[in-house]
Formats: sequence, structure tokens, C-alpha cells
Amino acid sequence: MRSSLSHVTNPLIANNPITLQILGVCSALAVTTSLSTALVMSAALTVVLCLSSAVISLIRRHIPSMIRLIVQIIIIASLVVVIDEILQAYAFAISRQLSIFVGLIVTNCLVLGRAEAFAMRNPVWPSFLDGLGNGLGYSLVLILVGSVRELFGAGTLLGYVVLRPASDGGWFEPLGLMQLAPSAFFVIGFLIWAIRTYWTDQVEEVERPLVEERAR
Amino acid sequence: MIPPRSVAAVTLAQTVALVPPLAVLATTATGGFALPLFAALAFALGWEGLFALMRKRAPEAHGITTALIVVVLAPADLALWQLGFAVSLGVILGELVFGGRGFGFVSPATAALSLLVISFPQVELAQPTRDLALATVPGLVLLLVLGLISWRILVAVLVTVAVAFALRGAAFDPAALGTALAFGLVFLICDPVSAATTNAGRWVYGALAGALIIVFAGDNPITSEAVVFAALMSSVFAPLIDHLVVLAHTYQRQNRHV
Repeated sequence: MRSSLSHVTNPLIANNPITLQILGVCSALAVTTSLSTALVMSAALTVVLCLSSAVISLIRRHIPSMIRLIVQIIIIASLVVVIDEILQAYAFAISRQLSIFVGLIVTNCLVLGRAEAFAMRNPVWPSFLDGLGNGLGYSLVLILVGSVRELFGAGTLLGYVVLRPASDGGWFEPLGLMQLAPSAFFVIGFLIWAIRTYWTDQVEEVERPLVEERAR
Repeated sequence: MIPPRSVAAVTLAQTVALVPPLAVLATTATGGFALPLFAALAFALGWEGLFALMRKRAPEAHGITTALIVVVLAPADLALWQLGFAVSLGVILGELVFGGRGFGFVSPATAALSLLVISFPQVELAQPTRDLALATVPGLVLLLVLGLISWRILVAVLVTVAVAFALRGAAFDPAALGTALAFGLVFLICDPVSAATTNAGRWVYGALAGALIIVFAGDNPITSEAVVFAALMSSVFAPLIDHLVVLAHTYQRQNRHV
């Protein structure tokens, strides 16, 4: 039980897909201008990741290795089409805001990465949990970045006014920077920095040190 | 040239060079002048102290030049928290994450000012006056004598801008040009940390900065914003320029005796 639980808890921080594996960063930049889009994107990606991992794991012994990437992409793409249609049917406004980024879950390295790295050589239940854990790890970062960007970029959270802007009688001056993509790089960078300061085992080895170790 | 021996001496020289411009600012400032100055100093030095504490190093005070440069170019009516925000981000992202003064590749003052303008689209930087430009001259001489700024960069920037004006057929007014460029040129573009450090690279770097100033200013007169963004972009390219110069030099040396 503990080992199956670790499939879910491990990718939250210790092996987080965004802050450690640096996967799926492009969508993390694009959809985090507000918290609501970040939440919907997180949910969509987590569902796709869970189902695709489970399905691929289920038929892993029948996928010829020559064409395995094609088969994986077809499964992921079918799931993404379904999710996209559901969003358009029940949450049209949000799906317009997310524009192509739900469709681009197909090309999200995270989904294919977990299919290749885990689902192809593990049973169905652990693969499903691995998909769930990685989806939640991705969601955690997206929600954090989305909160910061919406709070400081517009003074709101989920549309509710938290910091009243100066144009509306308050003191807060919305940071235009936070609505631009580079700010997501800054926020994710600060996040990685904070995580690696606390969990020092995540720090990568320096490949080419600026100052070489003196030989004795 | 009398090159200073330590980073602290460089900071000291730059601070001395910044005193006349600050004096001009103090006499001409309409609003409060002391409060923004103290706020900027407190934020810059506060972060530096905090990082020194975290990294268990001796405290340093290089943030003083960052704060002084930002205060000169920040608008007079800027809210203190906006000033603090810009100085904090500039000092942390431009300098402290890399390990302190001399380890980064952009000037923290340039980073602070550009983040200020990008973050708050309605903020307009203070435009330099003739008095400010004149007050920059003693600092310019001091830094040139100490070898902290390169005459090659100065000449390259000025020539590029002048040629661009001549090509465009615009009315060329050296006094107005000097006023607009002097402060940013000496304290942002020529900053010893962010500028190119090979002699050939300095010519290229200065030409790039001058060209960018013209591009960013467009058909309007040269503004502080154009100078700040030109300094930011050219300092991003400075390491590449130096790298290419070193490569070309190595290639030349290898082929000297074939």
C-alpha cells in the first residue's frame, strides 16, 4: 500500500514534473495568467494523464515497439479530443480562454514522458496512480503560479477583488509584468530556487564549474 | 589608468561619481527627495544583507550604487512600494541570484529600471536635464581615469547615434543628444559588470547599444526608457560578443604560423 501511495506523493515535490523534470513548462507559461484557467487546465491534464497511462499500460504487451509512439499519441489525442469537446460543451467561456492549449496537451512532454517512462512497463493500477501523482504535481505548480500571477497582475483571485486597484479607489497598482509570459519564468524560477534551497538533494551537479578544483 | 584593487573600491568610486548627479537632483526635486532615496537604499542594502546572512558571508554594500542610479532616473511621483518593488527585483534577479556584484551579467540598476517600466505601463522615467548631464561629467572623468568605463564604448555609442541621426536627415543637436545620453551612458551602458570586456568587443557592444537606442527611440527624441532598454539588451549580448572576440582571436593566433 505504501509503495502504491508513493506513486502519488512522490511527484508532488520530490520528483515534481515541472520543477525537477522541467517538463510541460510551455503550457505552464501560457495558461497561468489567471487562477481559473490554471485550475481547468490542471484538471484537464490530470484526467488525460491518468486515463492515458491506464489505457497504455493495459495494452502495453500488445503494442509493437516499432510503432509505440504512434499508438501512444493516438490514445492521448483521442482522450484530449474528448476533454476538449466536454469543455466546449459545459465551460465554453473558459475553453475560449484556454484556446489551443487544451488541444496541445497532446504534445505536452509530460503526458508522453510518463507513458514512455512508466506506463509501458508497469501494471495498470500503478500506472494510473503515477499519472494521478504527476498530474497533481503539475497542478500544484500551475495553481501556485496562477495564484501569484492573478493576484499581482490584476489584484483578484478567481475573479474576486483581493487587492483593490488604484483606479477603483484602492492603493494597488496592477503589475503589467505579471500578465506577460516572462513573469511565469520568474515565478517558476523562484519556486525551483526555493524548493532546491530546502531539499538540497535536488540540486544538480555542476557540469562545467567556473572555478576548477585545485589539484593537490 | 589606476585600476582599483577590490570590488569595494569600485563601488566606492562609482558612489563618489554619483554624488554630483544626486546633488543636482536634491536641488531640483520638487517632491520629497530624501524619502525615495532612503527607501531605495533600505531595499537594496536590506536584500544584500539578508543574502549575506543566508550565505554566511561578510556583509557588503554594493547595493548603494544600484539605489542611487534608480533614484536619479525614477519619476518623482513614484509610490514608495513601487520603487521598493523595482529595486528588490532588480537587486535580486540582476545580481544576488548570481552570487553578488561582479558575478551577474546585467547591471542591477538597469534590471530594476526596466522591470519598473514593464511592470507599471503608466510609469514614465524621469528625463535627464542639462544640469544632470553636466553633473555627470566629473564622475565620467573619475571613472575613466580609474579605468572603470571604457572610452571605446563611449565613442562607439556616440558615433552610432550621430551617424543614425545624420542618415535619417534629422536636425542634429549635440547639446540635446548629450543631455539625453550622458547619465544613462556613463552609469548604465558603460557599467563595468555588464559591458563587454574585450577591446574589440567594446566597439561592437557600443555600436549595438547605440543602434538599439535609435531603434527604441523611434522618431521621437531619445528618452530614458530607450537608453535603459538599450542597456538591458546590449548587456544580454555582451558575453556573446566577448566570446566571439576570443574565438576570433584564437583562430587568428592558430593560423599565424602555418
